[in-house]
Parts: sequence; C-alpha cells; structure tokens
Amino acid sequence: MTQTTTARQGNGSDKGIFSNTAGFSTLITVTVLSLAWLAGFASRLFAVIRFESIIHEFDPWFNYRSTAYMVQHGFYNFLNWFDERAWYPLGRIVGGTVYPGLMITSGTIHWILHSLNIPIHIRDICVFLAPVFSGLTAIATYLLTSELWSRGAGLFAACFIAIVPGYSSRSVAGSYDNEGIAIFALQFTYYLWLKSLKNGSVFWSICTALSYFYMVSAWGGYVFIINLIPLHVFLLLIMGRFSQRLFVSYTVFYIVGLLMSMQIPFVGFQPIRTSEHMAASGVFALLMAIGALKYLHSLNPKGQWKQLLILGGLAAAGTVFLAVVLLTYAGVIAPWSGRFYSLWDTTYAKIHIPIIASVSEHQPTTWSSFFFDLHVLVCTFPVGLWYCIKHINDERVFVALYALSAVYFAGVMVRLMLTLTPVVCVLAGIAFSILCDLVLREEELPTQQDETEESKSLYDKAGKLKKRTHEQPAPVDPGLGMNVRSVTLILIMILLMLFSVHCTWATSNAYSSPSIVLASYGNDGTRKILDDFREAYGWLSQNTAEDARVMSWWDYGYQIAGMGNRTTLVDNNTWNNSHIALVGKAMASNESAAYEIMTMLDVDYVLVIFGGAIGYSGDDINKFIWMVRIAEGEHPKDIHEADYFTERGEYRVDSEASKTMLNCLMYKLSYYRYDSGGSPPGYDRTRGALPGNRGFKLTYLEEAYTTEHWLVRIYRVKKPDEFNRPRLPLAKRTVPTSNTISKKTTKRRKGMLKNKPTIVKGKKVVKLE
Amino acid sequence: MKISLILGVIASLSLALAEQETLVLVDNLNIRETHSQFFKSLQERGYTLTYKLADDPNLLLSKYGEYLYKNLIVFAPSVLEFGGQIDTEAITKFIDDGGNLLMAGNAAAGDVYREIASECGFEMDEESAAVIDHFNYDVSDDGEHTRIVVSPKNLISAPTIVGDKNTQPLLFEGTGLILDKDNTLVLPILTADSTAYSYNPKNQVKEYPHAVGRKTVLIAALQARNNARIVFSGSLFFFSDEAFNSGVAKVHGDKVSAAQSGNKALSIHLSQWAFGERGRLRVRNVDHHREGEKESSNTYTITDTVVYRIEIEELKNGKWQPFDANDVQLEFVRIDPFIRTTLKKKPNGVYEAIFKVPDVWGVYQFKVDYDRIGYTRLYHATQVSVRPLQHTQYERFIPSAYPYYVSAFSMMIGVFLFSFVFLYYKDDTKTKSE
Repeated sequence: MTQTTTARQGNGSDKGIFSNTAGFSTLITVTVLSLAWLAGFASRLFAVIRFESIIHEFDPWFNYRSTAYMVQHGFYNFLNWFDERAWYPLGRIVGGTVYPGLMITSGTIHWILHSLNIPIHIRDICVFLAPVFSGLTAIATYLLTSELWSRGAGLFAACFIAIVPGYSSRSVAGSYDNEGIAIFALQFTYYLWLKSLKNGSVFWSICTALSYFYMVSAWGGYVFIINLIPLHVFLLLIMGRFSQRLFVSYTVFYIVGLLMSMQIPFVGFQPIRTSEHMAASGVFALLMAIGALKYLHSLNPKGQWKQLLILGGLAAAGTVFLAVVLLTYAGVIAPWSGRFYSLWDTTYAKIHIPIIASVSEHQPTTWSSFFFDLHVLVCTFPVGLWYCIKHINDERVFVALYALSAVYFAGVMVRLMLTLTPVVCVLAGIAFSILCDLVLREEELPTQQDETEESKSLYDKAGKLKKRTHEQPAPVDPGLGMNVRSVTLILIMILLMLFSVHCTWATSNAYSSPSIVLASYGNDGTRKILDDFREAYGWLSQNTAEDARVMSWWDYGYQIAGMGNRTTLVDNNTWNNSHIALVGKAMASNESAAYEIMTMLDVDYVLVIFGGAIGYSGDDINKFIWMVRIAEGEHPKDIHEADYFTERGEYRVDSEASKTMLNCLMYKLSYYRYDSGGSPPGYDRTRGALPGNRGFKLTYLEEAYTTEHWLVRIYRVKKPDEFNRPRLPLAKRTVPTSNTISKKTTKRRKGMLKNKPTIVKGKKVVKLE
Repeated sequence: MKISLILGVIASLSLALAEQETLVLVDNLNIRETHSQFFKSLQERGYTLTYKLADDPNLLLSKYGEYLYKNLIVFAPSVLEFGGQIDTEAITKFIDDGGNLLMAGNAAAGDVYREIASECGFEMDEESAAVIDHFNYDVSDDGEHTRIVVSPKNLISAPTIVGDKNTQPLLFEGTGLILDKDNTLVLPILTADSTAYSYNPKNQVKEYPHAVGRKTVLIAALQARNNARIVFSGSLFFFSDEAFNSGVAKVHGDKVSAAQSGNKALSIHLSQWAFGERGRLRVRNVDHHREGEKESSNTYTITDTVVYRIEIEELKNGKWQPFDANDVQLEFVRIDPFIRTTLKKKPNGVYEAIFKVPDVWGVYQFKVDYDRIGYTRLYHATQVSVRPLQHTQYERFIPSAYPYYVSAFSMMIGVFLFSFVFLYYKDDTKTKSE
C-alpha cells in the first residue's frame, strides 16, 4: 500500500483505486520508470536542439575518435592500436591506456542496429548514448533503493536521478564520456552487491562481479567500488555482523571481480600491485581468518573460543595490515598515487602535481554548487540517512558508508559531485517516501476515502501549522490532523515542482553547452553562433600537410586530433607530465628559446586560443600561469613563476606586466597583430587591459590562420632551412656602411659606377683604367 | 631500361646546360681582357658567359619568375649601384632561390659590396682599406706592401673547395674580410699571415684595424642552407691574368719564390666549387625493412632488427656517380638519438646499417645528416613508428608459469572429483552423529 501511494507521487497522474493488486503496482512502477527514462532523456537534449548533434568538449572527442576507429577496424585492432598521431613523438598505445567499456558499448549498439539494417551513424550513437543510459541509471537506482527501503522510495529516487543536474551535467547529449555509462554501472553494482549480501548466494555475487567488471571497463572510478565494498564488509565485521551470507558474497565477488578486472589492459596488474586496491585484499584475508575462527568456534561453542575469536580476529587484522605496509616498503606494492593523495590533502596537488590542480574540475567544491547540483535533495538526504541509521541492517550500513564517503569526496573535488549525486538521490528518495508515508497513510480508512479527502484539502491554506509538520515525523503512531497532512502534501508537491523546474533550468543553462560552438546573445535576444573552433580545426585539416605536427596546450589535443586529424604533441590524456612541461616551457620561453624546443619536437604549427577579442575567459592567457607552474616543476632552472607576475604579485598583460611575460611565446602568439576588440583597437576584453607589448614582429614563426573572432590563432613554425643565410644584422656589424638611397627611378634604371668616364658624343674617351 | 637510361642522360644534360648560364657583371668591359684566362677556363668547361656592365639599365636576373642565370659573377668593385632590376635585395633573393655567386672586390669597392657581404654573414673592411703585410709582400709591390704573398698553407683544408695540389704561393691585393665567429656556415677559404692587417695604406694607423693577423680573411665562402654557394674574394686582382702569370718572389723572410703563382689553379678550383661542379651529393634511394623481409614498412615493433640502406651519389665531371666515404652516420631519433651508428659501405654508393630497434615505442626518424665542409649538406629523414607488441605477440606458455597451469588444472580435476564424492557418497556418518 505504501508503495503505490508513494509511487503516485512520483508519477502524479494515476488513481490508487486498485492499489492492493500486485499487478497494478507493477504497472505503476513500470510507468513511472519509463516516464522517468523519457524525462531524463528529453531533458538532456537541449544541446542537440540548440546547436546540433555534435560531440562536446574535450575528452568526448577522443572517445568518439577511438569508437569510430574501433567500429572501422574491429575490436582487436583497436586493442592493439598504437596511435602515432598523439603525444608525438612518444605515441600512445590506445588499447592499453583506455577504459574500453564506453567504446565497446556504443560499438555493440552500432553493430546490433546495423545487423537489423538500421543504418545509423556511429556519431549519433555516441551523442545519444549518455541520455539513454541515464534511464538505465534511473532503473538501477530504483532497484538499489527498493533493496534498501521500499519500492516507493525507489521510484522517488529513480525520478530524482533522472533529472538531477549533478548527474545530467555529465550526461547531456553529446557528452560522450565514461561517466555517462559508469554511473549506471556503479549503481547497478551496488544494487547487485546488496542483493547478494541479502541472499548470500553465489549467483548474485557473480552478477555483482560481472557488473563490477563492466564498471572497471568503463571508468577509473571503479576504485570507489573496490574500496567501498571492503569498507562495508570491514565495518560489518567490527559491528559483529559476520554471517555466512557475507562470507560467501564477498569472497566470491572479490575473487571473480579481481580476476575479471585484471582482464582490462589498462588496469592490468594494478589490483594486486597498488595501494589503492589493497583494502579489498586485506579485507579478504581478514574475512578468511575470521571465517576460520568462526568455524573453530562453532566446533566447541562453550569453551574458551570466544576470547580466541576476538583475539584471533585482532591478530589477523594486525597481520594483514603489517603485511601490506611491509610489502609497500619492499616496493612490491606501489604506494598511493598522487591523485589519491590529493583526495586526502587538498593542497597536495597544488604543490606537487600542478597538472592535476590545473584542471578546473579538480578544484574543491563550493557550497553553492552543492545546492546548484542537488537543489532540495541536499537538504533532505540527511533525513534519509538518519532513518537508515536508525533502522540499521546490513544493507543500510552500506548506504550510510556510501553517503558519508561520497560527501567527503564531493567536498574535495567538484568532479566527484558525480559520485555523490546517486546516493543523495537514493537517500532523498527514502526521505520523501517516509514523508509521504506519514502524510498519506490512513491507518483504518481505505485509500479511496483518503483520496477524496485529500483532493478536497488541496485547496486549504497552509496556515501556521506548517512548522509543526517538520517536527512531527518522528512519532509515527499519532494520526496527523487533516490540515497538517494536506499542507505538508502541498508543500512537498511545491518543493518537488521547484526541484524539477530548477533541474530543467540548470541542465539547460549550465550544462548544455557543447563548448566547441559558442553562442552569444545580443541585446535584442538574437543569438550569434561563434564557430571559431571548428573553423580553425577545419582549416588545419584542409590546409596543412597530412603529417603536420601541431603544438598546443594539452586541452585542445583531443579536438585537434578528432576534428583536425593532425598529429598533436600533448593531449587531454595527461599521462606524461614531462612532455607537457616541455610544451609549457616552450610557451613560457621567449621566441628563440621556444624555437629550440619546437625544432627539437619537430613542431610545424602552433595553435593558441585567444579570447581577448570576444571576451572568452577560458583562453590560453588565462590558463598560462598553469603552464608556467607545470613547466617550472620540470625545469626549475629555466622557468620561474615569479617572473611572470608584476613586482606586486599581480598577473597582468598590460604595460605594467613583467618583461618575461611580455616576451614569452604565448603572449606574443596571442597578441601578434591584434587590433580588434573595440576601442582602442587592440584592447583585450577578457582581461580588460591594453596589451603592454604591441606591434612586435615574429622571427621564428609566421601567422598561418586566425579565425573570424580571433579565438583560435594558428602559426607556422619556420624550418631551419628558411633561415638560409646567416645574415649579419646592422647592430652586429663592425664596419659601418652609409645608408645609400637608391637613385634609380621607374624610368631611369641605370646604375652608378665610381669614376665612370662620362662619354660625350664626339669626344675621345680619356682613359680606361 | 635503355630508354630510361637515355632519358636520364638527356635530363642530366639539359640540367647541366641550364646550370651553365652565367651572368658576369663588370664595371669596365676591359675586365674581359684583363681576366681573360679565368673566363676562358669557365668557357672551356661549358659555361655560357653573358658580360654586362654593372650599371646597365636593362639588367635582369629573372624573367616571369624564372631565373635567367644559374650563376652570377660580380667583378665590379667600383659599382655604387647596380642598374636595372638588380640590387642587394635581388641578389640575396637570387641566393635564397639557389643561385651561386662569385664576387671579387678590391680596396676601392663601394658599400654595395659591403651590403651583400653582410647579407652572407661576413664583412668587408672599410672603403679604401687594403690588406697590408710588411713582411710578406711581393717584389712587384709598388711600395704600399699591399700586394702580398700568401702561403698555400693558409688555405682551408678542404680539398673539395680548393683542390689538393696547392703548393704554389698565392698573390693577393685587395681588402680584407671579417668573419662572424658565431657563424658556422661561413668558411675562411684563405686567411692572411699573422703579420698582416687591413687598413688604408695611405693613412697613418690611428685606430685599431678591423682585421689583424690571421683574422684577416682574404677569401671567404658560404654555403647557404639551400646549398647555394657564395665565394667572396677581397681581391679582384687575384683572378686576373697578371696574377695568374706572374712569378712570385717574396722580399723578406724565407725567400719564397716561384715561377708561377698558384692563383690560376686555385681560382679554377674555387669557381668549380662555387658553381656546383664539385662537392655535390644527393640521396638516390632510401630503403628500410625488417631483416629477412623485402617489403618496406612504416611500422616496426620494438626489438625488431631493421635494415636501413641509403644510396648516395656525388656529382663528378657532370655525372652522378656513387659516393665514397667512410664516415656516413645514421641516427635513429626520438627527440634524442637512441641509436647512432656508422653506415657500412657497400658497392655502388650504398650504405647500410643493421640494428635492433630499441625497446621503447614511439615515433622515430631515421636521420642521415652528412654535413662536411665543401659538400652540400646531405640530410634525409624518414619517419617510422615503433609500436609495442600486439596482444598476440607476447610469449605464450612461459616455463615459469607451468606451476600455475598445473595448479589450475589440478584444482579443476580436484573439484570435479570432489563433486562426485560429495554427490554420490553416502556414508554412515549420519547415523554416527545421531
């Protein structure tokens, strides 16, 4: 009964007349879930409708490119793909450095559709994959929540996750990224884990491992699972909740999951060689030890075994811990990687790994973004958590752990908001379900009556009773007054409505920009499309040699490879810090020093993003200080961050900027020949300043192309051969020469000789020397 | 085969003809007579000389974007400004487009000379400055000690440029050149002795001379990066019949004397080098493949053994012939050279290296960069990628894994047997326990 009533809240359209029948509740469940799927899918289409069906941003371009490669060349060739166009001249083994789940998923869909003779282009599959998977995520969340609490709560959670901005931020149409399918895999793995824990059956454990395998193949975030589940098991052990179910489900999951995760080439031997995965194996060993002790205990329950059990358990835990520490010291197990350190110490990355800190999505989360991404759910999920803890059982321990750890990680990194969102939806779903339970349950009366009363009371005013309702939930038994119920109900409805309005608005305005096509709005609301990126990449693909090497900051690597089809030096797969630092050093050095690096790396073209003309703030000059920092990390002798600031420590580009700044390559390439940007000409609208170094000339580079709005500027690097003669510049000459002005005119083109005998007709030439 | 050979011969002949168009700029048509031996030697070698006065208003180097001449000789020290379309810029462009230049001046040479010299990376001393050597002047000197005798030991040791039979002393009269030290492309062909300096002989030495001692370069050469060649002599007299024919007799020091100066031999050698008759190399063919295979490949796997062959030819007497050297090196480069090896000489100008590709994947280049004084720069780079092992190329069934195979199979058999025992073994334990 509870389930149907709450289900109605999620759907809001059906009548609970036949609520007792199981068939009807299934129908409602199915309806709600499919509507959630539809709503989730539809709300992610803003980008496609406003712009076009294109791949967004940066990483999706790589995913798209490799998917297209896989579809064209087959899976095994993809697995063995050595991409000589990336990371020149290092190259990249794509098959071994990628989570192939995403490509395989869309490749499979492509294959199925094509075997059904539906000729759909792989790009469209890639564009719409994430929205489609959002529906699957909703179903997985429904299953997880109903496993935890009730089906009603599950429907609430499913509806929440379908539209919540925290998740749609990463799964709008065109955002073809790992996260799009990984959140589904995450939720589904958790659901299966709880299921297997409940049943203690090998079947469900194997299913968990399979789902975990899919997650491993899809996203590096699988580490979250392989730490959270052992943590759950560990906590259950501490709480004295050891059971045969736990033993069976975890051991089976761990072994099968471990073996399968090692099948992904990118993961390889990491699960047994790195600290990140050691919690899982430690807990496995501990569980084995405790299982053995329990068995001994069961042989003679009356003896001294109880103490032995506790002592033995502690000893086993200590041994396992010591073993891991020793192995780490011995070098068998790799210590925590930098990315994980930065999760514990937020300043770690800034000091030691600037490349991680430089990514905007690795910044700590602001308070407002919690509200922006989760809206009302952020306020209600503690309620759900509280209820879960209050009515604790094995599964709810898990969700409590999930919630606490995810909240912590989301606070550390904006990006990890994504892992918080599902659990918030689950717990908020539980909270709303409880609330609706309270409000709508009529102990004795049949629901029919409840329904009529409810519809009447909808028109009642809220009055002062509003406040009391919030204090009410705890005591369940005393019946609430009719007014209280209806007011609360209305408030809930309003909240949920506001939530869905906010979700749509946030998805539409904040998360649906493809970022390779920019739109600006005029005063009269007309929209202007700035298509400079594709213009530039199109130029590259049409006008440069097939094997031309393009140097740019790593952000644009994937796009140059994906759209321009040219060789890049560094890209968004930031696996080689020193190579990136080399590019950063080239950008931060003066022209001649940069030229040395560029000839060393065989660079043909340099591409910079310059937003000064249109006020685009994400351009290279604004990112430049990170390039300097990354370069300084590897070349501390040549690059000093302080040189790029003014004496007062300001980062400026105008005439007060430091000399190093004004003469570095990035500055010159950005402002070379720049005369747009309003009045006075050459005004930089992004920084609101007039560049300090203007009218300079480039020696080693020449401008090759600049897009319509100056957004992308491409320069050609001159080859050493072009400096054909070692010309002596005037300043270096020791013998002064007088500046003679040519006396030749267009008509009289005769030259001049010294002491030339003037020949006059009729006279004898005096003498020739 | 024959037809292609004939075609090739015709092509090379026509090429040779086109290369022999030479413009000679003089400030005085008399130079044709005073330097007749030099010009004659050129004509004998097949050059078509076109004499023009340097101030001729109809001077042209190129027409409709095509150069009319391959070589340019400027024997016009007194020119202040070239006529027609020729000026410093046109000449530098001519060089940048691959034209060769032979230029000779004297103490009176004007600023145009200086401009052109500076464009090529060296400097000519001030107007009216001449190289003076009070210890090494010739008997025919007129008292200013400017007609100096230079030992052939002062020549650059590059047989391709100056020939290898320079034993006769050389006569020189003219201004000195100064070379930029940082400049690696400029060659001092002939330097003065340590007692020489460059100054106006008519004035008293008040300032420190621009060029002193061995730093005074008499003849300089430049081979530009596009292999255009420039020979710049401070002395026009050096190429004259007078210098060619006269004997040499030094006044001071060890009595060097010779019946005939070495000027003629050197001049002819220099012109041969400058106009590209000697010291020209080219790559005829490059081939690389895995050892044991014939097909060339752009992709290698790590630790492959690779055979690299390059066929180099040298222009000798107007014909491309196999080049013969022992110091051609190959580099296998990915930012830094991973392998640097001397290529082994095989018959017919083929050079070969067989080596093992390093165990590091990436995009590599085979680079042959043969840069020797006097020869054109021979540079050839081929890009190949070296990929890691494919998933099927790893070793299977390595011996150290056998224990694990045994354990896996024994486990399987064990489970199989155990399940039989477990399912079908009925025992009395039930009764026992009860």
